Amino acid sequence: MLELRDVSKSYATPQGPLSVLRGVSLQLAAGESLALMGESGCGKSTLLHLAAGLDTPDSGRIWLADRALDAMNEAQRSALRRHRLGLVFQAFHLVPTLTVSDNLRLQARLAKQEVPDWSVELLERLGLAKYRDHYPEQLSGGQQQRLAIGRALAVRPNLLLADEPTGNLDERNADDVLALLMELVVETGSALLLVTHSPRVADPMNRCLRLHHGRLETIEP
Amino acid sequence: MSLSAYRTALLTLLSHYRRHPGQLVMLVIGLWVASALWSGVQAINASARDSYARADALFSQQLDRVERRDGQPPSHDDFLDLRRDGIPVSPVVEGEVTLKDGQPLTVMGIDPLTLPGDAGMAAGQRSDTLTDFLRPPYRTRLAPETLSAFPGGTNATPELVSGRELPPLTPDRTLPPELAIMDIAAALALLDRSEPSHLVIAPEATVTLPDTWVRQRADNLAAPGQLTDSFHLNLTAMGLLALVVGLFIVHAALSLTLEQRLGLLRTLRALGVTGRALVMLLAAELLLLGLVGALTGIVSGVWLAQWLLPDVAASLQALYGERLGSELTLPWHYWLGGLAVTLGGLLTAGASTLWRAARLDILALGQSQAWHGRFRRQLAAMALAGSLLWLTTTALWWWLQQQPPRQGLTLGFVMIATLLLGSALWLPPLLSAILTIAARGLRHRPLAQWGLADLNLQLPRLSVAMMALILALSANLGVGSMVGGFRLTFLDWLDQRLVADLYLRPPAEKHGAITDWLTEQDAVVTLLPTRRSDTQLLDTQARSVTQSVGLYGITPEPQLRERWPLLDTLADDDPWRALQAGAVMINEQLALTTGLSPGQQLTLRTPQGPVAFPVAAVYADYGNPRGEIMLTTTRLTDQFHAPPGAIGILLTPKGQAEIEALSDALGQRFGLGRDSLTDQKALKQQSQAVFERTFAITRALNGLTLAVAGIALLTSLLAQAPQRRRQLAPVWAVGVPRHTLIVTGLFQLGGAACLTAVLAVPLGLALAWSLVTHINVAAFGWRLPLHIFPGQIATTLTLALGVTLLAALLPAWRLRRLPPRHLLREFDAS
Amino acid sequence: MRFGGFKRLRRFSTSRRLWVALVLLALLAAVLLLQQRSEPPDEDSGNGYAGLGEDAMEYAQAEPSHSLQFPGDHGPHPDYRIEWWYLTANLEDENGEPLGIQWTLFRQALASPDDEDDDSDSPWSTDQLWMAHAALSTPQDHWFDERFARGRPGPDQQGQAGVTTEPFSAWLDDWQLMSRDRDSGDLDSLSVTARGIDDDNTFGYRLDLTAEGPLVLHGVDGFSQKTADGQGSFYYSQPFYRVEGQVEIDGEMRNVSGRAWLDREWSSQIMGPAQQGWDWFSLHLADGYKLMAFRLRGGGEDGGDYLSGSWISPDGNVTNLDDDAIELIPTEHSEIEDREIPTQWRLRLPGQDLDVTVKARHPDRWLDTVFPYWEGDVTVEGSHSGIGFLEMTGY
Repeated sequence: MLELRDVSKSYATPQGPLSVLRGVSLQLAAGESLALMGESGCGKSTLLHLAAGLDTPDSGRIWLADRALDAMNEAQRSALRRHRLGLVFQAFHLVPTLTVSDNLRLQARLAKQEVPDWSVELLERLGLAKYRDHYPEQLSGGQQQRLAIGRALAVRPNLLLADEPTGNLDERNADDVLALLMELVVETGSALLLVTHSPRVADPMNRCLRLHHGRLETIEP
Repeated sequence: MSLSAYRTALLTLLSHYRRHPGQLVMLVIGLWVASALWSGVQAINASARDSYARADALFSQQLDRVERRDGQPPSHDDFLDLRRDGIPVSPVVEGEVTLKDGQPLTVMGIDPLTLPGDAGMAAGQRSDTLTDFLRPPYRTRLAPETLSAFPGGTNATPELVSGRELPPLTPDRTLPPELAIMDIAAALALLDRSEPSHLVIAPEATVTLPDTWVRQRADNLAAPGQLTDSFHLNLTAMGLLALVVGLFIVHAALSLTLEQRLGLLRTLRALGVTGRALVMLLAAELLLLGLVGALTGIVSGVWLAQWLLPDVAASLQALYGERLGSELTLPWHYWLGGLAVTLGGLLTAGASTLWRAARLDILALGQSQAWHGRFRRQLAAMALAGSLLWLTTTALWWWLQQQPPRQGLTLGFVMIATLLLGSALWLPPLLSAILTIAARGLRHRPLAQWGLADLNLQLPRLSVAMMALILALSANLGVGSMVGGFRLTFLDWLDQRLVADLYLRPPAEKHGAITDWLTEQDAVVTLLPTRRSDTQLLDTQARSVTQSVGLYGITPEPQLRERWPLLDTLADDDPWRALQAGAVMINEQLALTTGLSPGQQLTLRTPQGPVAFPVAAVYADYGNPRGEIMLTTTRLTDQFHAPPGAIGILLTPKGQAEIEALSDALGQRFGLGRDSLTDQKALKQQSQAVFERTFAITRALNGLTLAVAGIALLTSLLAQAPQRRRQLAPVWAVGVPRHTLIVTGLFQLGGAACLTAVLAVPLGLALAWSLVTHINVAAFGWRLPLHIFPGQIATTLTLALGVTLLAALLPAWRLRRLPPRHLLREFDAS
Repeated sequence: MRFGGFKRLRRFSTSRRLWVALVLLALLAAVLLLQQRSEPPDEDSGNGYAGLGEDAMEYAQAEPSHSLQFPGDHGPHPDYRIEWWYLTANLEDENGEPLGIQWTLFRQALASPDDEDDDSDSPWSTDQLWMAHAALSTPQDHWFDERFARGRPGPDQQGQAGVTTEPFSAWLDDWQLMSRDRDSGDLDSLSVTARGIDDDNTFGYRLDLTAEGPLVLHGVDGFSQKTADGQGSFYYSQPFYRVEGQVEIDGEMRNVSGRAWLDREWSSQIMGPAQQGWDWFSLHLADGYKLMAFRLRGGGEDGGDYLSGSWISPDGNVTNLDDDAIELIPTEHSEIEDREIPTQWRLRLPGQDLDVTVKARHPDRWLDTVFPYWEGDVTVEGSHSGIGFLEMTGY
């Protein structure tokens, strides 16, 4: 589903170039879930951005759904993102001016692959049905993150990329959201790449990798 | 991306306005106001152009004029004699009649059978049209808009004050407004005259005129085009100012909506909307807004123009003698042009928004942007651009100094534009610097210090509104002092020129008898007979004609000499004695166009051939578009055979009863109508009324521009209200009560407005100075002294403060009504 | 000093305003009239040519009972709607080059004399419209000009245009046809002058006319019938003029001599409502005979053409020619100004053993005046030879 082969990325900083990823290789099969751990600033998010096609590597190649990202132009990458990927951010990034229901359906509508029943079901299962006409700012943090997950899953993505999805939530809320996320991922058959610093969050994943000094280390469960 | 994806994305973008209708209103108002003022002015211009086009339609076939040397109107026998000699002249009579409702109407009588030109004539028209035109009850041909002003249209039978009726009306698209054309027989009867005003002849007709006749070449007559052009350029400049101020609002609103939607844009990108699609969608949004704004603007503009048009028409008639219809006639390209300018302006204002959206860094997702750092850089850029514009201003000013005084009108406006824009650009850096310095000095008054620092923080958003304010204020001050100065000068000049108590215009044949009779009256102290004529100014070798000039004959009695407004004389010479001795005086317009000054000589064509005259003085002659030469009535009569003209009468004692008595006696004895006698007071009133109308439109546009600036301010304040909450919450949290915050806020804005207004004063004065020393001279041909009106400045400053506080009041009131928990939430969110 | 109320002081010394407006007048007149000018006359219109077929009930009608009186009838007849003094001359210069000239004065009443509408005594008021045409042709070229004038009726009235009888004088501006003998009311010795401009070419003529025969009355004592139902005009001619004089073309003077023909005609209704125009011949034959013949198209028996004419012997005896005595057949057409104009004719007078071809010297003798028509010099060949003029209207 997702393959990174020998990917490197560095950023220019005032103190000279900062190598974030150094020859990272990674494979993720369909339906598989993978937790990516590491200290903050270690390059987890960069890896996620590269995988989503939001950014390009300095070297190495990335395949997403059997297509090489570097062989695609911007429009093709956007289309791929729209149709095949779900993104969940730590800071939710909901559209504050759309209702809960519209936010949930946003990506599906953009991808023109909305299944109304599925959207309704998602709203129900995410516990947002009664807030459907509210605006995001009227929701609690946990509800907002559930909505963000719903938006990503409404397209039934092949791959869900989640960046610290529970980072802004308290422990109980985090457990609820995570459980819901796993349940839905399994149900939709999506592969999941989840970036987190918390072992508790990484625990339910099939595999777990650690990013350390720009290289991946496998962590045995 | 599929169409529905575009639709979803566009709706998502637009959903912003559902939650922030204030920004939408601000955008649309900005566009609407800009477009309305601009299209209003353009509607007036387009309408005027249509009138001129009709007036100029056949300038290629302009006719020469044939006049008697003795100034008498040509008689029927004169006409016959010339025709029998093979000289193809045609009679024309022109005069003004007054309709029952008091409206004046210019009547022109022609003989279509002899009128030169391709029109030739068509003696025996197959239809009855020609017979109808030539025979009772005759026909009145009128421009359609003039005709439709009569109730009943073509069926109307308008009656004159004299009791006569206009011949039946027929429309004629080709005629300029407010001119009635009819057969000469009908016109003579209507005007109660027996003779034509003059004869015309085709310019290409080569004939030898008898000695008693003189031919005035059509191309020697001054074309009013250039003068009216300057009037319209004035209007256009005013409209442009309004457009710019409106676009400031639009720019501010657009930046705001973009900034608030940056997160949204990034989210959309992350969800798979391409960058190009985003830019296209934003452009579509702009277009949509632009269309709404432009259409409402154009409709309001037309309405505005309709409201202003009567004043404009009056101004043009008074200033240049140009007729303008009081109905708008708008060509199709006007509508298209209005739309294009508004959309173009919107695109200019929105270009930076689109550019920023196109370069959107989607990895910055979730980062708050470094607005303030950018604002620093922006201030520096503004200062640089402002300096460059000022440099341009200086260069233009220097260049214009080298030019002849009556040229460079357009460049004059460019100079003013660069001055204004440069100053507007300098305003935010200046304000920021002042605030920073002041904040440093207020360390011991923390709240005041905070207030200043906070104002500095608001500056990025307020600066555009403040720039709009300084433009509007300085335009107000500049135009205000120009108009005020003009009024002072003009009224003064009226007092000086209107020396006589009564002005009488006797018919030529009774002129001698009336003069004799008046001389015998006890109440009459002095008679000041005048005469008028035209001739050509020749170059010094007396070979070629440089321009046609008016000749004005006056009687230099002491009462007149004492007060006559002379601008320039020879120091060691009494100009009046020189005038008596055969010198002439020239008006300021002629002095400016020819560069003639007292002590020099000019050469005029006279019936005896070219004659040189010394110039004794230059006099002020406001409102006259033409060059004029003044000499004594006696000399004008002897050397130029000028026909008798108006007589000024000085009375003693100067009471209303004396005036009444004299006018009654004249009426009884000589059968003079009341309208051949005008008293000084009425004359002054009329002049002042016309003056007020002339500048009514200037004032109206000025006021509207200030209103636009007020709206800019209000909308900026409303738009930044949510951000303000975020900035106020911590201050409130550390124990500053809300009402203190509100009062501080009012002080902040009032202070900023006062600062802006104070900076606007020198700018306004610079503007006034440019207007009176350059624009006026180039546009009208006369120079005005620069007057400064402290009262007016104070009023404008107060007005600015008032507008600002009014604009600040609504946000302040909303803040006061805000429940504290909303302020608390500001902490949650961050 | 034009500001404000000051303007009222000098309202009388009118400003440029007037000039601006003046310039419009030509446009006014153009619109008034030119729209008519560019359209060919309406073939189906009952109005016919130049309103000459219009109903004229308020005017006096030409009737056969009237007998002409001279010199009075040389002057205008304001009771009748239309009238003309129509002179054509076939000339030759000293090199034998043939030239043609035309001098015509038309009068049209705008109102009948008993019209009460106009009680004005202003010399500018008008009830007569005068129109004059002058033309000069060489074998290659043709120049013409036209003038108009308003006028009051009456033989003694001095005006821009008019006709007086004793001495005879007809004029519009400086275009004049007048008796050389100051005491004479007859037309035996006249002089004619005109000068015009056509497309920057100036032309003019000054000719002396001397009659070598009597006046000729057409039809019944000068009543010339024009339709089968009896409408007609008063019509007489002086076809016997010998001409001496000068013509001028662009400043170049040429001495000329030749023959001239003066037509006088007045009526209130020359053509019937169904007639569209006419073809009119005035021919000087080499044997001293003169021939006037015309064809009015339409208005004859059963809607056919109406033909009439006069066969004039060298001593002035007239034989009236009726419909059966004349045969007129167009044999060649030329396209001129988008019109098909017959420029060659076969003319037969069986009673006079005359069978000739009448041919225009140049097909383009079109006068593109406000009322356009064809008028030009012709040659006669066949059983008789000669020269003359042909006028064709209503094409």
